[in-house]
Amino acid sequence: MKTTHILLLCFFLTNFLQGQERFLTKQGYTSFFSSSPVEDIKADNNQVLSIIDTSTGAIAISILMKSFQFEKSLMQEHFNENYVESDTYPKAKFKGKIPNINGLSNSEETVTITGDLTIHGVTKNIKTQAKIIKTQDNISLKGSFPVNVADYNIEIPAVVINNIAKTIEVTFELDHKPYKK
Amino acid sequence: MSKKIKNIILAIILGITGIIIIVNIVYNKPHISVSEASPDITLVSQKLLNDFENNEFESNSKYLDKIIEVNGTISEINVSENKGIITLSDEGSMGGVICHLSPEEHTKIASLKKGQNIKIKGICTGYLMDVILVKCIIIN
Repeated sequence: MKTTHILLLCFFLTNFLQGQERFLTKQGYTSFFSSSPVEDIKADNNQVLSIIDTSTGAIAISILMKSFQFEKSLMQEHFNENYVESDTYPKAKFKGKIPNINGLSNSEETVTITGDLTIHGVTKNIKTQAKIIKTQDNISLKGSFPVNVADYNIEIPAVVINNIAKTIEVTFELDHKPYKK
Repeated sequence: MSKKIKNIILAIILGITGIIIIVNIVYNKPHISVSEASPDITLVSQKLLNDFENNEFESNSKYLDKIIEVNGTISEINVSENKGIITLSDEGSMGGVICHLSPEEHTKIASLKKGQNIKIKGICTGYLMDVILVKCIIIN
């Protein structure tokens, strides 16, 4: 936990010296959707932190697991306590790269983002397509990708095995603004 | 049919209905109402932020999922669609406390000003660059 902070801080400090190259959002949106024959489960999170360094195309995303809001409080409880164990693993993280970020036009383009996604303490390399619009004062990223629950050592008890999909669809919408301090 | 069997059948039906009702109540258990609940912890926004900056691990176990009432200065007001976000931070501080307001608080945002002192109650979900409170209610 501490090292990631120091890394994050270094990330900021080095960028301070280089000037206006970081784009950031503190209120990005992520949701996930599980569809099963028994029920559909959806949760929203509007507190996503995402930082893009436009000099390298690096992107770093942090998500608080407890920020996911479910329709039913029981689902939220089970999600936090039994599945993602958010007291032990409070955050999900993504560290990746947007290729050729400076060669983008001002209109919508599709990019393939690769990077490491950490959920429930397990890190996996993922690859996903996203729609990107980059202008002078905004970088918007939108897309979705499937997450295989078992890949992240998340155990679903047999009783509810039919209520929760094995593959969950994660959607993201991140509107980054230039970071000024 | 003997009376005994009738009684057994009746008992089984009552039992099943009871179970269904209980399962339903548990399944549909409502979310905590922040506006009605009294805060678990009351403090100034800067203290909350400092605690997380100094020891995030300890603060997580102390503050997460708790209803927290903070007192602080508004440094930013952000309104989009039906979301209202108020950031509390002291001058010169890097981070702050970001309060995501409940939808029913939306109408109150128009009367708020930067630099104003405010008391807000919400549920703490953690710390990224700032401390995050959700489902916030404005007290005054």
